[in-house]
Amino acid sequence: MYTFKGGTHINEYKLTKDYALEEIEAPDRVAISMSQHIGAPCAPCVEAGDEVLVGQIIGKVDDGALGCPVHASVSGKVIGTDVICGSSGNRETCVVIENDFKGTVSPEIAPPEDKITEMTKDEIASVIRSAGITGMGGASFPAYAKINSAAGNVDRVIVNCAECEPFITADHRLLLEHPEKVVGGLKTIMIALGVKQAFIAVEDNKKDAARVLSDKVADSDMITVCLMKTKYPQGDERQLIYALTGTELPMGMLPMDAGCVIFNAGTCAAIYDAFATGMPVVKRIVTVTGDCVDRPGNYVIPIGMKVSDVVEKCGGLIKEPVKAVFGGPMMGKAEFSLDTPVKKGTSAILLLSKSFDTKPVPEPECIRCGKCVSNCPMKLMPAYIAQYSRLGNMEMAEKFGAMSCVECGTCSYNCPAKIEIVQYIRSAKNNIKAEQRRLAALRAEKKDS
Amino acid sequence: MNENDKPAELEFVVEEPTEEPAEEPVGKPKKKAKKKARASFPKLLTVSPSPHLKSTETTRSVMIEVMIALTPALIWGIYVFGLRALTITVISVGCCIGFEALTQLILKRRITVSDMSAALTGMLIAMNMPVSVPLWIPVVASAFAIIVVKQLFGGIGKNIVNPAMAARVFVMICWAGQMTKNTAPGARFPLFGSVQGGVDAVTAATPLASLKQGVLPRTGLLDLLSGNIGGCIGEVSSALLILGGIYLLIRKIISWRIPVAFIGTVAVLTFIFPQAGERLDFMLYEILSGGLMLGAIYMATDYATSPISPTGRIVFGVGCGAITVLIRYFGGYPEGVSFAILIMNLLVWYIDNAFMPRRFGSELAKKREREKEEKKA
Repeated sequence: MYTFKGGTHINEYKLTKDYALEEIEAPDRVAISMSQHIGAPCAPCVEAGDEVLVGQIIGKVDDGALGCPVHASVSGKVIGTDVICGSSGNRETCVVIENDFKGTVSPEIAPPEDKITEMTKDEIASVIRSAGITGMGGASFPAYAKINSAAGNVDRVIVNCAECEPFITADHRLLLEHPEKVVGGLKTIMIALGVKQAFIAVEDNKKDAARVLSDKVADSDMITVCLMKTKYPQGDERQLIYALTGTELPMGMLPMDAGCVIFNAGTCAAIYDAFATGMPVVKRIVTVTGDCVDRPGNYVIPIGMKVSDVVEKCGGLIKEPVKAVFGGPMMGKAEFSLDTPVKKGTSAILLLSKSFDTKPVPEPECIRCGKCVSNCPMKLMPAYIAQYSRLGNMEMAEKFGAMSCVECGTCSYNCPAKIEIVQYIRSAKNNIKAEQRRLAALRAEKKDS
Repeated sequence: MNENDKPAELEFVVEEPTEEPAEEPVGKPKKKAKKKARASFPKLLTVSPSPHLKSTETTRSVMIEVMIALTPALIWGIYVFGLRALTITVISVGCCIGFEALTQLILKRRITVSDMSAALTGMLIAMNMPVSVPLWIPVVASAFAIIVVKQLFGGIGKNIVNPAMAARVFVMICWAGQMTKNTAPGARFPLFGSVQGGVDAVTAATPLASLKQGVLPRTGLLDLLSGNIGGCIGEVSSALLILGGIYLLIRKIISWRIPVAFIGTVAVLTFIFPQAGERLDFMLYEILSGGLMLGAIYMATDYATSPISPTGRIVFGVGCGAITVLIRYFGGYPEGVSFAILIMNLLVWYIDNAFMPRRFGSELAKKREREKEEKKA
């Protein structure tokens, strides 16, 4: 059993782990965001009135830039573009398409003609790019860019199926029902990178999935299925690498520096699909859960479907939600509106009622219990960072390790005083970065003069 | 790497997509016929920073757990010293809560007595009093602990020394006569009012006092463990205090580091430098007498006044243990636990600073830095 030091075992709430994947019918209208990956957003390349087909490119990105195209998830008529506002103040352009319910697939969709084993790394990467595959775990880093930068630098591929966040079971169901997709995608990546060793990391609360996977990879001695201890944040890339290889990767260094590259299970499955059928990412598995939905489950949802439409298809609400979280409860983002559309990085939609809403404590005072320190997977002193961040003393916040924080939220979770420790650390990080930028600009100015 | 150099064994097999798995036997349980309440879509939802899940532990629950752990030892104290011990406890707990509310009212702070930290301080103060003490002393001690030590320094978590410990030392220095009358077990005093009678009738030489004289006390070790000895209300029964400590460890309220380092240091030092009798006997008498158990398990582990760094906690415990032994051997008082804890309390910030946990990945970061410098040079 592989594990790391620190972290906490959190009540798993895996309510939907026995619910088989279920395809959800596309709604009347979808709003597909042009910011599906980190980096610059795509530019819409369709106009109001255009007819689009499933899989047709609707958002383009420059060839040299980081990013990959966005595709239509339904066939129908483009109504126009819309701007939606996220809860962090981000504004995203969306292309709104009216569904004609024909589901006509674009004629361009076809699997690549060459066999994968005969393709070069660049060819494989370009297929992955044009299929619009980004990290499906939530970080949304374009997968082709990961392959390009990892090529020649890594000797191990890790598939992250830890799914350490409570509630989410999307990867679990994917592993159980389509293990061949995950393994196939992994093999593609291994071929592209010329790597001969791979680990599939599964937390031990998914032993059934691990068994299925082990059967699938029984014929290959290059792929190992590794059982990880169920503990948060087991799926954090640094903790994963430490658990599997023993290398402690500091903040600021990439998995590549430890000779590893990590892909999410969903990303592997998407890569498999791109090579098997040529279908780009137009839908994804989303765990719709929480205590408010009538029929929680693991649904295959078209990209761009609004949460309110999803909820409607899941039997409606049985309790009034106070929070809609995109992603897991530990690192996911709470959106203020149920009109927010599903994106490629949405692994779960969590609708939580009042009973989960921890009331904020007015003026919480740290009692210095030290639980944040003993549970911090990065071995920082979150209590001090938060205190200094609150006081505005960024120098000391940095001294106690603010910049090494991975924002996993273990400290906030455990805090008996209910201080939003990780939020204070986030703000310290932003302030420190701003200060660094300011100093760099000053230095540059001095050089000029 | 040559891109054509591909592992030959790797075969990419495109498997036929399996049939729609929607109707699998593991699927959704059949919808219940009974109608469920429907809720409407809310217009706006709560936005808050992640994590959206929190543990159920609160400041209040932590304080209550510590009080639960202290209860057996307190009940034993009441059994041994009579109901007057209960009177003292009620007075000091009540006074602590009252003074906290009063100070916060005067200082226009939010009133936080419901977090139970003041009640815990009151409980600890009572357990640090001999039962014969005049009833106004716990009142003064509570006032000093809550008003001076806790609230004037900013309230919960901000005090630099342990309030109960500071209060004990304060009243012990001010009213040494009343505070060092150590009642023999089984003595019965009036519930209220002052204690009458000659001093000799009610006091028993504490084991520590005779250890200070260089002789092993006549009390048996078993009596020390069970608490059938003279002393303060809450400190006599080492066994029950240890039991409470184990409870706190299991409930993950305290870490083992401070108590083990504290008691361990005292044990090692007294074993190496015995002052009387057999090494082992002397060591056992030293660790089982006086306020060591109460101090090491409940007072030194006080959150606000102990380090939060794991290594720092061990250093803190070792420091407490060493100072305790120094005072017991060379100081003017037979007991050194209180002073040791107060002195180490003042060093907490420096200990935390000096013994930060080793950051995850620091070796690789340093290595990378060295390589960079070598490249430059």
